[in-house]
This record gives sequence, C-alpha cells and structure tokens, in this order.
Amino acid sequence: MIRRPRQPIQRTRNGFVLQLDADERHLLRRLLGEIRDLVTTAPVGDAKMQRLFPPAYTDDAEGEADYQRLMREELVASRLSSIEIVDTILQDDESRTLSGIEVDAFAQNLNAVRLILGTLLNVGEDDDDAESPEMALYQFLSWLVDCAITALMRA
Amino acid sequence: MTPVAGSASTIVKPESDTEVDVRPDNPWVVLVWNDPINLMSYVTYVLQKLFGYSLEKATELMLDVHHKGRAVVSAGSREKAEMDVFRLHEHGLWATMQKDGSDGGDS
Repeated sequence: MIRRPRQPIQRTRNGFVLQLDADERHLLRRLLGEIRDLVTTAPVGDAKMQRLFPPAYTDDAEGEADYQRLMREELVASRLSSIEIVDTILQDDESRTLSGIEVDAFAQNLNAVRLILGTLLNVGEDDDDAESPEMALYQFLSWLVDCAITALMRA
Repeated sequence: MTPVAGSASTIVKPESDTEVDVRPDNPWVVLVWNDPINLMSYVTYVLQKLFGYSLEKATELMLDVHHKGRAVVSAGSREKAEMDVFRLHEHGLWATMQKDGSDGGDS
C-alpha cells in the first residue's frame, strides 16, 4: 500500500465517487468481514472489542447492566447493517455515485476497524509513526477515514 | 485524538461558549472522553452530525476533549442521555453518561 497523492473519495455534482483499486477493495472487505465475525462471536468483555462496546455508566453498576442488556444487541445490529452498506459499495463499479449516507457508513466502519486494530497495537497519541505492516495498515485506514470526512464536510 | 498529516480540514477559532445547557430538568450529562485512536476530524464530524452543532461549536468541543481529556457534549433526561450515548457508541466514540455534578463531570 503506497500512499499516493490522490483523493480516493471525491465529491461530485450528484454525490461522491470512491476510487480504490481491486486490491484495496479486497483488503477492506476482508477487514470488514473480520469485524462482522468479531461483533457476533466475541464474548462480552473481550478486551479488543472494548472500544466498540464501551461502558455507558462508570459509577452505576445497575445502570450499566441495563444499558448492556438493552443496547448491546442494538449496537451489534446497527454495526452489521452498516457493514453491509460498505460491503456493497466495495463490490460496486468504481464509477457508481455514492450518497452521503454511504460515505458516512464507509467512514464509520473503517473507523471501527481502526478502533480494534489500534487497541491491539496499543496505539498512543504520538507513536503512530512506528514502522510495521500493521501500523502501515492502521495509517492507511486513518488516511481513508480522513479523506471520507473531508469529502463529507465539503458537501 | 490523532491529527492526520495533510488533512485539509481547517480549525476555525471559535467564539461561541462551549457550555452545554445543564438545568435541573436536564439532570444527566453525556461526556466524550479523549482517546488516541479517533481522528480529530472524525470526532468533529460526528458531533456535528449527531447534535447539529456548527463546525465552530463541534471543533471547540473536540478540542476540549483533546486538551482537557473530556467534554460534556449533551444534557437532558436519562432517556435522552442514554440515546445520545448509544449513538456516540455506534460511531465509535468513547462516551459515558452521569448525573450532573457527580464525580468526573466538571462542566
């Protein structure tokens, strides 16, 4: 993954276009597939998933138990449906015009991959320039999320 | 939070007050906490999207999170706060809720 001076998500007159090559699309689909498996199979309390299912109440155990009971399934369902949106985008023809909702889902779910990867890599505020394949992947995802947000905020 | 090199987003010097309206009928506050993974641009975007804040207001709250470690991003009834926390969790932000004035909420 060479970081080229390009804009992978471009604002057009009618929406957005996503310019990623076949390898990049394949990579992103694989990562999203892993997230899909993790959100449905990872046990409650799995440390690497803590950023996708954080606590809502820090000083109220009863409130927290209620929140997890009522909302965790909702969070999983919401995640799975928005992953589907992104998976479809990544299989579509590169020339297809995307809506803001689709680009939003793209940013949200690539960010979810970053949350898990960053947790596994124990990323800190200032050490994200370390060289490793995993960190290169993390930075690639950061760049894509930022490009998506830049395009959305320009809309 | 992490700035991205070469990001095109500009930070506008905010003039508005960051205080979120916390009245007796808004007893719960929602906090967003700083973390080293979420991008500054992403956090600003999510705060604008979920709460309808202006770019200036959302940027100010994001910078509060970044520099002070947390910021109160909304307030209201318990049900409203819980829904706001849920939507922030959907977007991967590290959000919690608590009664206004309880430990940790200094806004």
